[in-house]
Amino acid sequence: MYEKEKDLISTFLDGGMSRRSLIRRLGALGLTAASAGTLHNMMATRALAADFDWKKHSGKSIKLLLNKHPYTDAMIANLDTFKQLTGMDVSYDVFPEDVYFDKVTAALSSGSTEYDAFMTGAYMTWTYGPAGWIVDHNEWLNDPEKTNPHYNWSDMLEGVRKSCAWNGIPGGKLGSDDAKQWCIPWGYEQNNLTYNKAMFDKAGVAVPTNMDELIEAAAKVQAGNDGIYGIGVRGSRSWATIHPGFLSAYANFGEMDLTNDNGKLSAAMNTDGSKAFHAKWVKMIQESGASDWSTHTWYQVGTDLGAGKSGMIFDADILGYFMNGGDNAMAGQLAYAPFAANPDAKGPTPNIWIWSLAMSKFSKDLDATWYFMQWASGPEHALFGARKMDFVDPVRNTVWQDEMFQEKLNKSYPGYVDMYKTSAPGASIKFTPQPLFFDLTTEWAAMLQRMVAKEIPVDEGLDQLADSMNGQLSEAGLR
Amino acid sequence: MDHRSALERILRAIALTAIVVFFMFPIFWIVLMSLQTNETILRSPPSMSFVPTLKNYAAIISGELDSNAGTMSIHFMNNLLNSILLSVFSVALALLLGVPAAYAFARHKFRGSEDIAFTLLSFRFAPPLLVLLPLTLYFQALGLANTYLGLVWVYQLICLPLILWIVRGYFEDISPDIEHAYRIAGHGWFATFRKIALPLAGPGIAAAGLLAFIFAWNNFVFALVLASADKQPVTVGALAFVTASGIQYGQIAAAIVMSIAPTLLLALWAQRYLVEGLSLGAVKG
Amino acid sequence: MSVQADMPVLRRSSRLSRTLLPYLLSLPALLVCIGILIPFVTAIYYSLQRYRMSQPWNRGMNWGENYLNFFTDPGFWNTLKVSLVYAGLTVGIELVLGLAIALLLQRRSRVNNFVSIMLLMPLMTAPALAALMFKLMTNPNFGILSYFMQLLGFHDFRWASSPNTALLTVILVDVWVYTPFIMILLLAGLRSLPTQPFEAAALDGVPRFEQFWRITLPMLSPYILTAALFRLLDSIQQFDIIYAMTQGGPGNRLMVFQVEAYLNFFQSTNVGRSAALLMILWAITYALSNVFVKNWLRLRERAKGGA
Repeated sequence: MYEKEKDLISTFLDGGMSRRSLIRRLGALGLTAASAGTLHNMMATRALAADFDWKKHSGKSIKLLLNKHPYTDAMIANLDTFKQLTGMDVSYDVFPEDVYFDKVTAALSSGSTEYDAFMTGAYMTWTYGPAGWIVDHNEWLNDPEKTNPHYNWSDMLEGVRKSCAWNGIPGGKLGSDDAKQWCIPWGYEQNNLTYNKAMFDKAGVAVPTNMDELIEAAAKVQAGNDGIYGIGVRGSRSWATIHPGFLSAYANFGEMDLTNDNGKLSAAMNTDGSKAFHAKWVKMIQESGASDWSTHTWYQVGTDLGAGKSGMIFDADILGYFMNGGDNAMAGQLAYAPFAANPDAKGPTPNIWIWSLAMSKFSKDLDATWYFMQWASGPEHALFGARKMDFVDPVRNTVWQDEMFQEKLNKSYPGYVDMYKTSAPGASIKFTPQPLFFDLTTEWAAMLQRMVAKEIPVDEGLDQLADSMNGQLSEAGLR
Repeated sequence: MDHRSALERILRAIALTAIVVFFMFPIFWIVLMSLQTNETILRSPPSMSFVPTLKNYAAIISGELDSNAGTMSIHFMNNLLNSILLSVFSVALALLLGVPAAYAFARHKFRGSEDIAFTLLSFRFAPPLLVLLPLTLYFQALGLANTYLGLVWVYQLICLPLILWIVRGYFEDISPDIEHAYRIAGHGWFATFRKIALPLAGPGIAAAGLLAFIFAWNNFVFALVLASADKQPVTVGALAFVTASGIQYGQIAAAIVMSIAPTLLLALWAQRYLVEGLSLGAVKG
Repeated sequence: MSVQADMPVLRRSSRLSRTLLPYLLSLPALLVCIGILIPFVTAIYYSLQRYRMSQPWNRGMNWGENYLNFFTDPGFWNTLKVSLVYAGLTVGIELVLGLAIALLLQRRSRVNNFVSIMLLMPLMTAPALAALMFKLMTNPNFGILSYFMQLLGFHDFRWASSPNTALLTVILVDVWVYTPFIMILLLAGLRSLPTQPFEAAALDGVPRFEQFWRITLPMLSPYILTAALFRLLDSIQQFDIIYAMTQGGPGNRLMVFQVEAYLNFFQSTNVGRSAALLMILWAITYALSNVFVKNWLRLRERAKGGA
């Protein structure tokens, strides 16, 4: 039964046919979209199963440590597919982001065998990798016995894939030939502008295209609308304040966090260019930032935008995506724009955050865990998440090319795809990989807070920060 | 007897009102908030007129929360259960260990007794992280990581010194003569302890137990460092709540109300014991 | 069964019990706590090491270097300063406020009893949750305290988000939670004072204000000292309120010992520095707790003697 239908779906799954023509042709065979869906799932499982023994670890169970995130929701929603496919069982602990990374550190530093795999960002692997808490995933990626033939590792966006690979040498280039693949990209985000179109129109503000215009636009939109502030950026005393909009704009001026002189690292945030940029950024927050900016994490930045309390945000594009949907007061009223802070820059240079998956070195069964890893980061789940859930931004080329996904974005999130495409070429991690990443960024954020509060002039603050960083780098033998 | 002037009485009334307002207002306001929708909470200026709703509580009890990133499930009731389990078992263990020790310290001035007693009390005052941070590295090897047993053990740091010192004070206040008389009548040591000493110190033990329960319930840092998601109590769970993405403010408030309600009700029910326990027995003559 | 025959046995066993029994009774409690001493020793060991978890190859004994570094480390002096200021201000305010309230409630009456029961409520609220409550109350969008400040003409009062008012905000939470504790201790003290000196003073026509300074305060001072020391020990180790409110920010304004040590451990994975910080804090609290216990024992002796 259903032989013709199965053939059609196979063709579709192999990429030989668009979804629309699939549904049209299935319709011609008298199949409804709903039963086509069931058939599709069945076939997807079967397609995955071809040429690879997915049942090899049947009966085993693994445990995951997860952050509360839409990606996590998408994965959990699809988890039964994995269980059916492999016969394995998966359990998990989910923590909110505020305490999540502390939990990861606690689990890994104690050598806990409880968790087999966990969510992480690339920055964190700069600690976890050298500490010996995670594995080099190349060992599994390059083993055809362990990785299914449809996994298609090269389908992963190259910049993103490489950003998760580091040779472990402080200051070493990400994605170098001797790099270890510390984590597997899952979903990522670029930092751009998401703005409230109605508010911009009301205040007669044009979409800013550089830093000076951004400061001006933020002030104007704040003045032209009642009870809002101009621009939302993060400000809590944390690494997370540095990495989104702030570092993206900073890097656009060619400024760096550290310089690397033959393996000797030195602080670089007290150059003239950096001081000029900091002065502008600080002024922007003082004039048009949230009054409780210094406690803002991505969550408050997003919530305020979604609730119509701020005119725009310079933060993760996916945050703008989420705030434009659901039951947010401003759903459907947000618009997107790529942003290059430097008028002389060729294009935007967003620093990126990559939610990734990594296997714990203390897992009792890495081979079985790898089955989960390759499924969760595989093409089928990525497609499922992108189409049916909020799994943006996907890290796979094929997903970006998927018609159904593009359709969904263009329909409900106009301008998103264009913004993404404009900023993608310049997108990468702009930090220098080194083990003191968190010391550096936390102190940087604390200094930003002091400068915004006018406790210390920008020049003096940056000199102090650089001194302190250099001291710590020396103490750690990195300078 | 009452030689106070009218002015003084008025001033006194004003002062008492101000005190009650200052100390009760936050609780009052959070309860109000928990009965509102996001819409009425966000009204400016704030207003007292709204139609109370129990939706926030329903959402928390069912664990299905509406957020701006879709529905999410949070096992808050599980956190509540953890709080109950951890507090009850910690206090039970602390009573089992602490009451006999307190009796020993009160009745027998043995060599080193003061030193041991002080050592035990000093645990109460040591910085908890000093112990907790190395413990994270040990618990794994001991197989105590992420177990109720491990947490209950660590909770002894709060409960045991408290019980030891309060109960000791009560035992010391009871004249040993009654016990001597009972012993001379031919009863064994244990019978004397059980039939005479324990009942006489009963109120003190109850007060100490209640206080220990409340301190255990209110503890934050132990569980923050040592507990995983399925073992964490409400204090840690509620923090997670506030920071989780896009949760409605009314639901946060409802979660806080549900987290503090047990200790507040307990306090209302047993306030006399608590006040006695809190005075540490120090002021009893 | 003959009672006579049993007597020697009882006597022998009671002599044995007199020496061994107390140890047997206190041993389990001690054992449970001893287990906790092991991590303490480990902490001393870590504090003498260069130990960052992200650089395992660099790990090794550096003896007192972590401590010596503190002398030239502005971050450490800031931590010490913030911790002491926090402890000093909270205890100071709570003492004055607690004493005032205790004096108001001194007479037993229905109203006074009701008020003192109400005052138990904040004390029964978990400090971390109290911080969350105040966080909601100071939210600039809908927080009631922010609204009050606007009514008072402070349109830009930023509470915990501004370095100028962050300390004030966390102190407010601390005062809200812990003033009742001091109040309860002092109230118990006040009510246990002998009445004769006051009656005599009243007969001599000593004004009530002077009675307070010359009789009440001196007689109450042991209780005040006990309450102050007890709170000081807790306050200098504050973690819950500050962590839940700002995690030590803005800037380094609220970076007290335990918050800094926590962040050092979990975020910078700098175990050596974290342990050294906690050892310093422990030294401070140990000294304070010695004073406290001595004072407490003296107070008890006196209370018993006076009875």
